[in-house]
Amino acid sequence: MDGGLAIRVDDLGVRFRRNRRGGRSLKDLFGGAARRTRPGEFWALRNVSFDVHRGEAIGVVGRNGQGKSTLLKLVAGVLLPDEGVVEVHGGVAPLIEITGGFVGDLTVRENVRLTAGLHGMSRAEVARRFDDIIAFAEIADFVDTPYKHLSSGMKVRLAFAVVSQLEEPIVLVDEVLAVGDRAFKAKCYRRIDELLAEGRTLFFVSHNEKDLRRFCTRGLYLDKGALKLDAPIAEVLDAYNADYNADSR
Amino acid sequence: MTTAVVGAPGSLRRYLHSLWLLSARDLKVRYSTSALGYLWSVLDPLVMSAIYWFVFTQVFQRGDIGGSPYIVFLIAGLLPWVWFNSAVSDLTKAFKKDARLVRSTAIPRSIWVNRIVLSKGVEFAFSIPVLILFAVFAVPRVELSPLILLFPLGILLQVILLVGLGLIVAPLCALWGDLERTTRLILRALFYASPIIYGLPDLPSPFRELALFNPLSGIFSLYRVGLFPEEFDLLAIGVAAAMSLLFLAIGVLVFRRLEPAVLKEL
Repeated sequence: MDGGLAIRVDDLGVRFRRNRRGGRSLKDLFGGAARRTRPGEFWALRNVSFDVHRGEAIGVVGRNGQGKSTLLKLVAGVLLPDEGVVEVHGGVAPLIEITGGFVGDLTVRENVRLTAGLHGMSRAEVARRFDDIIAFAEIADFVDTPYKHLSSGMKVRLAFAVVSQLEEPIVLVDEVLAVGDRAFKAKCYRRIDELLAEGRTLFFVSHNEKDLRRFCTRGLYLDKGALKLDAPIAEVLDAYNADYNADSR
Repeated sequence: MTTAVVGAPGSLRRYLHSLWLLSARDLKVRYSTSALGYLWSVLDPLVMSAIYWFVFTQVFQRGDIGGSPYIVFLIAGLLPWVWFNSAVSDLTKAFKKDARLVRSTAIPRSIWVNRIVLSKGVEFAFSIPVLILFAVFAVPRVELSPLILLFPLGILLQVILLVGLGLIVAPLCALWGDLERTTRLILRALFYASPIIYGLPDLPSPFRELALFNPLSGIFSLYRVGLFPEEFDLLAIGVAAAMSLLFLAIGVLVFRRLEPAVLKEL
């Protein structure tokens, strides 16, 4: 499992508009996607480059709004870069936006089929794993309940249960473990350990230092949309703490 | 594990799997949430047909405009029009309706367009028996001509046209909210500008030539020639085919251009 490249990010840049309805014109349609910043836009990420090898566990560190989730979305392929390339070898199981991807009006059963199906799981395979997923999420009594009527804890449990069952070689985790009670958290940890032991690649965003140290070997420190440090996780956490916790002590 | 996964990511098989999954969900919602599920998808064109039949044969004297029996002529035009109309109005909301799914699932984005064309197309296919029923029992009897074999060509051209339009309309509406209303207005005008309640041969001179450039003219004539051979118009059909392919080409370009911006907007 070693040596193969799982993710290649090269000179990645993506920009957003600062205000929602500012200055979008037909020029956007015809103008070239040049390397320039239009007024009212800012770069959420720029000049970010790194490689991830298969089986690596990467922790992404940074304050709020520094581009962590944006980076995950780009790797997940649900956002497209304005500059540079993101190359992902193999499918991605994304645990981002916690419950994103689940539809409120559909029942739990239909949601499981839909989400797993969109990740390429066949009908028979979904049926085979369905009971495991429901048991993991501990919502056996709510299988035919519309998703929107679940409690927020149940929603997260279901999302984690489904996505962690996908056979994708790359797993993205964004802050999901912050929600949920202690028992479920312990279960999620065990599942992530299993996934890592199977040789999956993990991309982990968290503010929890303990989680980061536990799962990750390498850290990426994002600051103001730039990759400030790419080093072993302990070093990255030390740098991050030195920058932001120094004055609070 | 060979059965666990349907095709590799990015393969055609995976694409069709995802497309069908989403379309089937639409159809399930359509047909299972209300007791009258199936009826609803044919009721709309039937009521419209009845209204136009009443207005143009009982109130106004339509003379020899359109084919005879007029009710069959109407239904043959209105069923595909309902497909076109409902698909385009849904396409204006293609991304917003499932914004959460689009935001979190990395399937090819054109699926969000194609699934609407497909699910509305299946509804159209389900409504064809109604046309057959009316054609069989109508008075005076309609003669079935071998040109009915062109019917599937009409479906093919309409699919191409709708996909092309969808690739243009869906991202534009996601970026500029006003376009949703504009599109609805254009659809309403297009209903009267297309040969639905009349046939292409009924138009007087300058309008006839103009109407040729409406791809729906040729497409609707393909649906009708099997029952009303006088509707056959090779030029209109040729123009419709060319226009549909042109829209598809423009659509592919526009969609590719706007896709990153749409994803940021959601």
